[in-house]
Amino acid sequence: MTATTVSKTRGGGGKWWRRSEPPGRDNNAIIGQRKSTPYLFSLPAILLVAAILGFPVLYGVWQSLYRRPSLGLPAEWVGFENYADMFSSADFWHSLNRTTIFVFGSLILGTALGLFFAFALFRIVGKLRFLRAVTVAPYIVSNVAAAVMFKILLNGQFGTVNQVIEFFGIDGPSWLAKPALAMVTVILTQVWTDLPLTILLLLGGLMTIDRSYLDAALVDGATGWSRARHITIPLLAPQLLISTIWLSYSTLTGLGVVLALTGGGPLKATQTMAMEMYTVAFRNLEFNQALAIATFILILNALITLGYVGIGRRYEYDQ
Amino acid sequence: MTETQHSDEPALAAATAKAARAVVGGEMETKQPAGTRARLLFRRILIAIPLIALVAWTVAPFLVTLSVSFKERAEVFADPSLIPSSPTLDAYREVLASESFTTSFLNSLIVGIGTTVLTILIGVPAAYAFARFRFRGRHLLLLFTLLPRLVPSIGLMVPIYRLAVVAGLLDKRITLIIVYTAMLLPLAVWLMVGFFQQIPREIEEAANVDGASLWGRLRYIVAPLAAPAMITIGVLAFREAWNEFTLVLVLTNTPGKRTLPFELYLMQGIEGIANFPGEAAFTILTVLPFILVYTRIEKYVVAGLISGSGK
Repeated sequence: MTATTVSKTRGGGGKWWRRSEPPGRDNNAIIGQRKSTPYLFSLPAILLVAAILGFPVLYGVWQSLYRRPSLGLPAEWVGFENYADMFSSADFWHSLNRTTIFVFGSLILGTALGLFFAFALFRIVGKLRFLRAVTVAPYIVSNVAAAVMFKILLNGQFGTVNQVIEFFGIDGPSWLAKPALAMVTVILTQVWTDLPLTILLLLGGLMTIDRSYLDAALVDGATGWSRARHITIPLLAPQLLISTIWLSYSTLTGLGVVLALTGGGPLKATQTMAMEMYTVAFRNLEFNQALAIATFILILNALITLGYVGIGRRYEYDQ
Repeated sequence: MTETQHSDEPALAAATAKAARAVVGGEMETKQPAGTRARLLFRRILIAIPLIALVAWTVAPFLVTLSVSFKERAEVFADPSLIPSSPTLDAYREVLASESFTTSFLNSLIVGIGTTVLTILIGVPAAYAFARFRFRGRHLLLLFTLLPRLVPSIGLMVPIYRLAVVAGLLDKRITLIIVYTAMLLPLAVWLMVGFFQQIPREIEEAANVDGASLWGRLRYIVAPLAAPAMITIGVLAFREAWNEFTLVLVLTNTPGKRTLPFELYLMQGIEGIANFPGEAAFTILTVLPFILVYTRIEKYVVAGLISGSGK
């Protein structure tokens, strides 16, 4: 009884923080609470995130402007020299090239497989439960475990994939020993670990498409592939965008799969930028130089993310 | 109804069906003539093929790993068939007896539970504050939602390592717990804020009028309602701590302190000739705890996964 009267006096409609407050209440809408409570509640989280995510990144960017003349000596201010060295290093451009192939390869394969599987699941959406569980399973596997699994699956001598290939009379290659195939293996493994989210996103998109569009297309005689190509996929644009951004984030900044599977080899064929940063930092022990690469990755990633936020907003306003 | 009258004219029938669907709102059952049964079967097969491909794509890596884990080292090469001719548990015995597995399993368990508890302890009150109270600092929420995208672990690797060295925090489980918690908090807070905003504040106000204190409200009203979201966050946090590799790689360097992914990574490098059954058994044992509870927690995993996309 009291509850309804309270809510009525406060008036319906609009966001709660815009509602007119009844007289005699303090600013915080729920009575009987101290002014300090919200700060008490939120400060631990804010401080922890600032200390572990915020501060180290700023510290890293600042430190990328320093350099140790040699190990053991104190670091000296060198301005943007680390960045100049980075841009004039052949290894850096090689790793940028590898990253481009890695990101675009994963994007193309991931999006194609994601669409294919999402369409397949959409047909049987009613009895999805078991298949959804199967679809999501790779998400609970760590990058290292996924790398071991693919190493066994694609082994040159006993791998199941090669046995299937040999069944058709073709000699199976040793996947991780050949530079081009090593990149393919890394992309396959990365896509395997990232695909659950792509599929779920696209499936969610498919389920929200207004059926009348599809029916109208059917009336106009569009079926199968042409319907998918001209109606469904354009309507999936927002979800495709999110999954694209997510896949590029995951591949651009991902280290686990590459490190555990190839360690950058053979012949630096899979030496992505993340791998290059790791090598410079923890094999060459040039931390300040590595921080320049890390900063470059962060900026690239931020540009993609902010682009996503901008485009994402536009979609929100459209709807 | 009208549909059966016009069923000999396909275009019209489709149009009426559309109209009927628009009125009824549900799927209309259309009767199939007997001649199309073969086509129906063909369609069924056409639908089944991609689904089989999906299952094969997802399950094949698990299956081959499971298969190899039941073989002996020599048998892996001699008999590459998927079903081992003489299955043995030797690899599992070897892994379970090795100190690298037992200590890292324990470490992963401690770090996983610690991260889960800390994330909920710190994240849930913060989310509640962001969702319910008006205070200076509410605008930080927007920054919170962007942070996990802007700060990937690759950017943290070197700075956090350097800071941990200076602070003497290398090789400590508590360091891992705190770092993982911080990595997950933005996501956890974002997820919980959305959830808290769905709980009508009138319920809380009613309890308030009836004399419940803030703690009473949290304990008896908010917490029970928020339980599913908290489980999602817990699963998310545990998974992150259990699987994280990039940061544990730089934050630990002595054998007794590593977690499972790090030990599995090292296992590949140490031995000259790869011990495939051992690696496979190690992998299976790493995934097993999740698989065992997977059917129960699957929907929370899915919820966490989708929230992880940054929407």
